[in-house]
Formats: sequence, C-alpha cells, structure tokens
Amino acid sequence: MKGLFVKKKTAEHPEQNEEEISRLLKAMPIFTDLTRRELAAVARILHEREYQPEEVIFRENEPGMGMYILQTGRVAILSEAGNLQLAEFGDGSFFGEVALLDAAPRSATAVAKDKCRIFGFFQPDLYSLIERNPALGIKIVLGLSRLVCDRLRQTNQRTYAINAALQQMRQTPQ
Amino acid sequence: MISFRDPSTRKMLVLLLALTLIIILLAIGGVAQMMIIALLLAYILDPLVVRMEARGISRTAAAGIILLTITALIIVGLLTFIPALKAQLIGMSSGESSAKTDLALTNLQQVLRAKLGWLGLGDIDLKVKLAEFKASFGKKIIDFIVTDIVGIVLALVTIPFLMFFFIKDSRTWKKGLIRIVPNRYFEFSLDLIHKMDQQLGNYLRGQFIDAVSIGTLATIGLGALGVPYFFLLGPFSGLANLIPYVGPFAGGIPSLIIAIMENGDLAAGGHVALLFLGLKLADDLCIQPLSVSSSVHLHPALVLVTCIIGGNLFGLIGMLLSVPVTGFVKVVITESLQTLKAYRFS
Repeated sequence: MKGLFVKKKTAEHPEQNEEEISRLLKAMPIFTDLTRRELAAVARILHEREYQPEEVIFRENEPGMGMYILQTGRVAILSEAGNLQLAEFGDGSFFGEVALLDAAPRSATAVAKDKCRIFGFFQPDLYSLIERNPALGIKIVLGLSRLVCDRLRQTNQRTYAINAALQQMRQTPQ
Repeated sequence: MISFRDPSTRKMLVLLLALTLIIILLAIGGVAQMMIIALLLAYILDPLVVRMEARGISRTAAAGIILLTITALIIVGLLTFIPALKAQLIGMSSGESSAKTDLALTNLQQVLRAKLGWLGLGDIDLKVKLAEFKASFGKKIIDFIVTDIVGIVLALVTIPFLMFFFIKDSRTWKKGLIRIVPNRYFEFSLDLIHKMDQQLGNYLRGQFIDAVSIGTLATIGLGALGVPYFFLLGPFSGLANLIPYVGPFAGGIPSLIIAIMENGDLAAGGHVALLFLGLKLADDLCIQPLSVSSSVHLHPALVLVTCIIGGNLFGLIGMLLSVPVTGFVKVVITESLQTLKAYRFS
C-alpha cells in the first residue's frame, strides 16, 4: 500500500542499471547538484539508443530536440558546409545540450565513429519534468545555464585574445 | 526504394492508414468505442494528474484517485438521476400530454382543417400522432437501455479502468513506441509526438470543457423554465454542441418542440429559443475563447460527412465521437506533414 503513494524507484531500463546511469549523469556539470533520487528521476526519462559506426545521430539544419550523453563509443561533430570535423567526443561526454534550451536547428552534424551507446535527454521530457517536479527542473535548468555561461565566458576570452592579437598585428610595422 | 518525399507515396500511405483504421474499427466496434472514450478521458484529465505529481503523488496513485473519483461520481449520478430519468422516460413512453398541449393541438388542427383541408391534412389526428410519436420515442430509449443494459454496465465499468491504465502507463508506452523507431526517424518521432500531444490535448480539453459548460447551463436553464425531460435534453444539447455548425441547433430543437408541445403555447418555445440563443452567445463570447485555446478548424462538409459515417457505423455515440476523432486525425496528418518538411529524409 505504501508503494502506491510513493514514487517508485524501480529502473525502467531493464538492460541498464539505473545506478550506472545515475553515476554517468552525476559526472556531468549539468547534474552535479542533483541528489540520488533526482538523478534516478532523470535516468527514467532518458532514451537509450545504439548507433553503428558511420551512422548519423543528427543532421545539420534539422530541428534540435535535445542533448545526447555518450556512455561508450566516439562521436564526430561535422560541419557540412566545409566538410570539417569540429569536435570529437568519447566515453562519458555529452553534446547538443543547447537544443534543450533553444528550438533552433542543429548547427552541425553528429556521426558515430564507433559502435555507440547513447542516452538522449530531450526538450519535451525536460518540460514535462519541470511541470511534474519544478524543484528538480530548476536545478537542471540552472545547471544548463551555468554550462552556457561557462561556454560564453570561454568564447569571450577567446574573442579578447583574437582582438588583442589583431590589434598587435595592426600596430606592428610591416 | 520508398520515398516519403513522393506525393503519391504519401497519399497512398494516408489512404492505407485510413483504410486500416476503418477496418479495425468495424472489426472491434464496441471495444473501439470504449477505448476511444477512455483515451479521450485520459487525455482530458492528464493536466490534473500532472498537478498531483507536482505535489509528490506518484502517477499510479494519481490515476487511482481519478478512477475512484469517477467511480464515485458514476454511483452518485446513477442513484440521484435514475429515479428522475425513470419518471421522465415513463411519462414520455406513456404518450400522455397536458391539457394545454391538447388545447394547442385542437387549435392547430382546426387551422389545418380550415386552411389546408384541400391537401388532405385536415384528416390527421394530431393528438394521436403526437401520443404515438412520444410513445415510440420513449419506448425506443427504454428498449435501448433494457436491451443494452449489460453493454451499458460493462462500459461504465470498463471505460474508467481502461482510462486508469491509459493514464498510468501512457509514458511507458510512449517511450516503448519511440524505442522501436529506427535511429534515423528517432528525433522526428519525438518531435511529432510532442507536437501532436500538445495540439490534441488543447483541442480535446477545450471541447470537453465547452460541452460540460453548455450541458450544465442548458440543464439548469431548461429546469428553471420548467421544460419536461430537462435531465435528458440538457446533457444532450451539451454533447450536440461538440458538433460544429449544426450542433447548437440540433441540441436546441428537441427542447423547443417539447416546450411548445407540453405548454401548448408558442411563448414557452420563445423562452427556450431565447435560452439557447443566450447559450450560443455565451459559448461564442466567453466559454470557447477561454476553453478552446487552439481550435482545430474542420470544414463544414467534412464535419457533415464524418457525422453521417460515425452515425452509420456506431449510432448516436459514433456521431458524437466522429468530430473529436476527425479533429484527432486532422492534427495527426497536419503535424506529420509539417514536421516532415523540417527533416531531410531521402
């Protein structure tokens, strides 16, 4: 009877241990502040997928639905315009997180380089979680905001460095 | 190689889907009706479940609370309304009418004899005709209730239970459905399901609030005006209001006829007409703008055709369900095509 009125803790990933997914999440900056119970709640809404080498995870300019958490394998982020590899991610990393906050199209294409096991965390599920558990939702959104701020700070520093280098080049006599 | 970009392939797929749906519905008739009603109820009540979840109640418990509440409402409703309904149905099936009605019919018959006697209308005994019509109509309703009593009880038990499972397991089923989608269509499916969920939820909840509001107001209004059978006519007009364009008229005409027949003067009909005019204004100006946030536009011809098909397949319930089901299908097709445009499937 008690179990009926208390949220269940059982795993919805029979093939994956919820503890293991929680550990994977805990290592990510977005979820560091979450308690075990909250991590388990997030683990329940993740979508587990498997990709074969060379399989496209998402394509540039298609609508972005959310972020991917890479448990095992390697993923390349490619720019279709210049046919460039922009980044490569390995075990325990994540990508596409901006799509959780923004509905803009994907800025690059993600392709699996090896056989990958990936967990998808998507905007509709985040919104639904915010409605059902606002306190947890705020923690996740704050975590995301911190990550975006961090990235913005890094981008600013790089811009300053590039501007300084440009100014120095202009001042240096030919 | 099948290409979704090919318009003829898309048309063929839509046609195949529609045909499969019709065949399934025909094959499982009654079960399909119960499942559709349970699914609609689950959709309508979902925000309530989410609110309960926000207060720390598990989804299973929230679905259980809703199931218990609906069961209690059905029991209270049956105990309260059955005696009133019984009296009204017996009155209707006996074919008796009031002295005022008799007087009005006698007057009308005299007019018919004097003015339209040459058409042969003077020989018609209006009192007998009205008594026969009321008796056969009342008997039809009683026969429907008696012969379908097992079906009605089964529906009253099954629908809330089906609704309970639809609410409790909807997320798991949705996730299970997404799990079997190939990787290439995974994000597209998520996007599509989310958009459909939002659109359908708004549409169905809006329709439900609208029907309940009009049904309640009509029942109160008809009761206050002393129109007999208001317990039947009020909810009927609320349900009829689900059908756009013709619904408000179809809901009001039976009340109008009964008011005139029972009271024997046109003034009573005038009061009922004013009541329904007021309800229509309240619906258009207040209830619909507040409840139907994003309405799904359905062409009048489409509404008419689907009502006829629904009526032919499943009777009155099929007719009433045809509009939300058509709205559902329209949202599915429109959103699928719009979402498909954003993805580069080859």
